[in-house]
Amino acid sequence: MLSAEALSAVWLSMRVAVFATAINALIGIPLAWVLARHRFRGRGLVDLLVTLPLVLPPTVTGYYLIVLLGRRGWLGAPLYAVTGWSIAFTWYAAIVAATIMAMPLMVRTARAAIESVNLDYEKAAYTLGRSEWSAALEVTLPLARKGLLAGLVLAFARALGEFGATLMLAGNIPGKTQTLPLAIYTAVQTGETGESFGLVLMLTALSCLVLIASSRLGGRAQ
Amino acid sequence: MLFGPSGSGKTLTLQCLAGLVRPDRGRIVVNGRTLFDSTAGIHQPPQARRLGYVFQGYALFPHLTVAANTAFGLRDRPRAERDERAREVMERLGLGHLAGRYPRELSGGQQQRVALGRALAPDPELVLLDEPLSALDAPLRRQLRDDLGVILHDWGKAAVLVTHDLAEAYQLATTVVVYANGRVIQSAQKSELLWQPASESVARVMGIRNILRGSVLKAGPEAIQFRWRGQILEAVNSPTHSYLPEPGSPLAFYIRPEYVRLIRKDRAGPDAGHHMNLMNAAVAREADAGTVWTLYLVLDEPGEPAQGAYDLEVEVPKLVYEILEIARDRHWQISIHRGSIQVLPST
Repeated sequence: MLSAEALSAVWLSMRVAVFATAINALIGIPLAWVLARHRFRGRGLVDLLVTLPLVLPPTVTGYYLIVLLGRRGWLGAPLYAVTGWSIAFTWYAAIVAATIMAMPLMVRTARAAIESVNLDYEKAAYTLGRSEWSAALEVTLPLARKGLLAGLVLAFARALGEFGATLMLAGNIPGKTQTLPLAIYTAVQTGETGESFGLVLMLTALSCLVLIASSRLGGRAQ
Repeated sequence: MLFGPSGSGKTLTLQCLAGLVRPDRGRIVVNGRTLFDSTAGIHQPPQARRLGYVFQGYALFPHLTVAANTAFGLRDRPRAERDERAREVMERLGLGHLAGRYPRELSGGQQQRVALGRALAPDPELVLLDEPLSALDAPLRRQLRDDLGVILHDWGKAAVLVTHDLAEAYQLATTVVVYANGRVIQSAQKSELLWQPASESVARVMGIRNILRGSVLKAGPEAIQFRWRGQILEAVNSPTHSYLPEPGSPLAFYIRPEYVRLIRKDRAGPDAGHHMNLMNAAVAREADAGTVWTLYLVLDEPGEPAQGAYDLEVEVPKLVYEILEIARDRHWQISIHRGSIQVLPST
């Protein structure tokens, strides 16, 4: 029913979403914890930068990513000069775009969950000899796990559906950077209605699976 | 024992002791170990202080079992020793059969035990307890108050306890520090505090009733004579607080409700030596307080009663109430021994 190109788009989207979610777990959760539990200079700025992709049009976020990472970008140009390689129009770019777009959902959800954990638990851990980091790992994060999980699910769903920023930074190269939403767009544009319908069903099914899995996990964590 | 109303700074003091809050200035020394000294720049982190802390509401880790909660402070010990110590602590507190349970599956009393066990397991030098009984219902609270005293005594642990419950302070404390509005207003042995509150504000915080104000007639080291509601009363001047206010100056004092005597009408006339500070009064209102009756008396004097609707609150045991037929007979002569009027030095 689906062409090889369409299948590769599904496979690519899955990989991109999994990597983007993993990076969000590694960076987003510590970031959420720092924002929830610490007051420092520049905290407002960090908060703003993380949240911005939520309200900016995705193409604008994508534009900034090109400015930053493109072949002539602030970071991209030195990288290209040294290695002759640029992230733009590779599938890594799709991961970067999906990660940045999913980050606000991850950080905001995780931060709210961490802030709702009573500080007395952490204080109790300190009086029982735990450092700040061990208290966070052994007490705060496990107690916030439902919110963290919810954040990861939202991040995964967002990464799976990312379109605008991905198009800007990674392009729409079939078999290389064409993710599921881009493949749907292309199929509709070229009049392949059967193929686009199959892809739409596929994406809907994936999203439903994610939601069901998360509610199962959340139920067990209760 | 830190005692005082909510918001008076007791918990803050405890958190300073534990190192969870850094005080602006001062010194904290426990068993000769300096934990904090603002002038020397010493501020040991809570992890290094070796103090046990029992939080108000206990703050048991909800995602860990009783055994894991108890062992939480023992991580630096080898695993076998840690398990052994946690088991020993749980057995001693009667929690052995609950080792695999989670905090939410325990009763309030059991949770308190676990919180105590978790704080005691690492063998702290001092245990800090923040309102350890306030989360419990009244009947259970009384029983656990007894238990808590026994546990702390048996484990040989010095404890600093925060409470706003006077009964708790009376029963568990040796030394009581009284707080009001963020200040310490008295620090004394329990017995001294009970019989000699340092000031009117201490007496008020302690919930002492019949705190009144008169004016001094004559003050000597032995006795103080003063005028109140048209009466001339005499009180013993406490030998430890030789308080000598000028004649005419205001004087605060209190009369314990259970120390006011009603004079029996069916007995021979008053003996001046036994009946001091005689007054005539009528029962304006009464309340059944369980084991005693509380009578609200108004003196036979013109003018506004001293405490709004009444002058004196008096407590009589139920049996006395019935024998004297107070329900029927509403007018009484009363006497207060001069040793039962406590003078409150002004501060």
